[in-house]
Amino acid sequence: MNIRRLVTLFAVVALIAVGLALPSFRARADLPESAVVSTEWLAARLDDPKVRVIEVSVIPGVYERGHIPGAVNFVWHTDLVDPVIRDIASPEAFQKLARSAGINADTTVVLYGDNNNWFAAWGAWIFSIYGHEDVRLLDGGRAKWERENRPLSIQQPSHPEGNFTAKPARREIRAFLADVLAVVKGEAEGVIVDIRSPAEYEGRIFAPEGFQELAIRAGHIPTAVNVPWGRAVNEDGTFKSVEELRQLYASVGVDGSKKVYVYCRIGERSSHTWFVLSKILGYDVAQYDGSWTEWGNAVGVPIENPAGTVWGRQ
Amino acid sequence: MAESTLGGGAQAASTSLKNPRTAAAVRLGLAWLIVGALVALAFSLHETPNRGAAASFSLLIGVALGVTFQRGRFCFFCIFRDFIENRDSSGLFAVLSALAVGGIGYAIVFGAFMPNPSGRGLPANAHIGPVSWVLVAGGLAFGVGMALSGACISGHLYRLGEGYTRAPLALFGSLVGFGVGFLTWHTLYVEAISVAPLAWLPKTLGYGGSLALHLALLSLIAALLLRHLPELPAQAGGKLTWRRIYQAVFVTRWNPLVTGALVGLIGTFAYLRVSPLGVTSQLSSLTRTALNNAGWLGDRLVGLDGFAGCAARVVDTITNNGILIGGLVAGSLAMALFTNRFQLSRLTVRGALTALLGGALMGWGAMVSLGCTVGTLLSGISAFALSGWLFGAAVFAGVWLGIKLRLHA
Repeated sequence: MNIRRLVTLFAVVALIAVGLALPSFRARADLPESAVVSTEWLAARLDDPKVRVIEVSVIPGVYERGHIPGAVNFVWHTDLVDPVIRDIASPEAFQKLARSAGINADTTVVLYGDNNNWFAAWGAWIFSIYGHEDVRLLDGGRAKWERENRPLSIQQPSHPEGNFTAKPARREIRAFLADVLAVVKGEAEGVIVDIRSPAEYEGRIFAPEGFQELAIRAGHIPTAVNVPWGRAVNEDGTFKSVEELRQLYASVGVDGSKKVYVYCRIGERSSHTWFVLSKILGYDVAQYDGSWTEWGNAVGVPIENPAGTVWGRQ
Repeated sequence: MAESTLGGGAQAASTSLKNPRTAAAVRLGLAWLIVGALVALAFSLHETPNRGAAASFSLLIGVALGVTFQRGRFCFFCIFRDFIENRDSSGLFAVLSALAVGGIGYAIVFGAFMPNPSGRGLPANAHIGPVSWVLVAGGLAFGVGMALSGACISGHLYRLGEGYTRAPLALFGSLVGFGVGFLTWHTLYVEAISVAPLAWLPKTLGYGGSLALHLALLSLIAALLLRHLPELPAQAGGKLTWRRIYQAVFVTRWNPLVTGALVGLIGTFAYLRVSPLGVTSQLSSLTRTALNNAGWLGDRLVGLDGFAGCAARVVDTITNNGILIGGLVAGSLAMALFTNRFQLSRLTVRGALTALLGGALMGWGAMVSLGCTVGTLLSGISAFALSGWLFGAAVFAGVWLGIKLRLHA
């Protein structure tokens, strides 16, 4: 009798445990592993020479005081943008950087970083621009890895020189002002997504509090829809499920039938949305990295300013 | 033993603090209470969201500094004055020892943080400051301020724990000085700091070469100071007993070389885990935030936010640096209670005014130099930054000037 009771109790407990674990399982299961990897996935492959982990954090000293073992440090301010002119890293500089990180043509590149993976997503965009297909993000970024008390190292990795070769820049995933202007004027087909906060989108503020790169005008690019980047992630910073993401963007008319243009303030947050739309949902997406700090300063381009904060009004 | 001096042996009721036994019990009880509270705080900071290990570690680093400064009398002004007035170089050996150990520690940490020093950029967070005449002016003002107020900023912080009544006034004065610093920052930045070089030895000499030069220079200074070293007390041989360990830790003044080595180690650990040692960042951030809220200071201080150092940020809360400072004062207070060195000093009008004025001079100097004797001198020289040496020389000259002008009398 007692044994049967015990077995029943065990069964009930096991069922509850499975039930509790299931939702997170299901949410994760449909994210394509070719784009997003879990902390478990990565933890099991730290010694795999085919997998190269790269940290792109922007708070100084974060990488140095402890990174995922074997991870290489890419510095957004000097490695992933041109250090002099406003542009992305040149193909020569990026090829040198990637080779010194030991990246080969067939390497699986996994990026992660602080600040919700924004700058890591920028890194993924640069890898894609220069033709490296197998580039993925660590779901939940640095914060999740730390939260799970996974190991960190202060040891600087040294990897044998790789053979990565930068291909000619893929123009179709990067948009310039003229490309976006053509969409606004109806000369080209496309849908524009502004991923900033509603306050920035409406022109109530020029930039998030504490940020200094400003524009002369506040507001957004005409016809752009507003989907703040953060709506693509769960509370713990992990990506929502494919179905949730598809519905989120479909609700504002972004369903992959037309080319998508994403922008933010300088292109760091919109890299995140670029990653969601292109690498997770598979849509045709270009990032406009000039973003609001170019558009809001450009002479003669139309803007929308629903908040009515244009100069001289207040 | 020193435990029965408070109260001076007055004959009073056993419940009164005048009774030496009661007084000692209260004193030791308070000290243990502080230790217990610090341990509890370290644990709870670790569990607090958005704080975590860095905050907890900052508190412990602060406590370690407070204890070491108090027991080793690591007060830059006292050390400089002993040499200038009495030709006693023993305190200076603590500084040299801190810089030697700190340099070795930094070389080790740099090797992990930035294996190739000749590449682009500087090691993360290291206090490598711009070298210009502003740094010299800041150091001189800081040194004169030390002479006027009776201690440097870190000195006032640990002496606050000993009941030095001029310390809170000097620290308040420094807040005013930081404010003046912010108002002069723009002009100084445009005229000098923006084009000043960030001279860092390892760029040209590598870590090995830099450390060799660093140690050679310190050895040379030590050799010159050796003849000013007073005779050391005779040390008894024999077995190490609990009583002797207790005496060494809690009763006799710590050996300067040991004190310095501990400061150098603490500095290395702080850099490895959180950020280089510094004690002015939270103070100047407080001032900047207050001025900003009052509308006297714009949101932007051009150039300031780009430098590593004890520069101010606009902050709403207590930063890790604030936690470190709190730990420093509490650690020193606990030690002062354990060793019966807590005594409220008598405050005169002159003493109060000079503390305020000296504090203001130090605040201005620390603001334009991006740090004080800890942040710019100790953490800078340990990081092989030219700015550290230059600031150190200017501070020493300022203290010398202040003493010659009898500002400290």
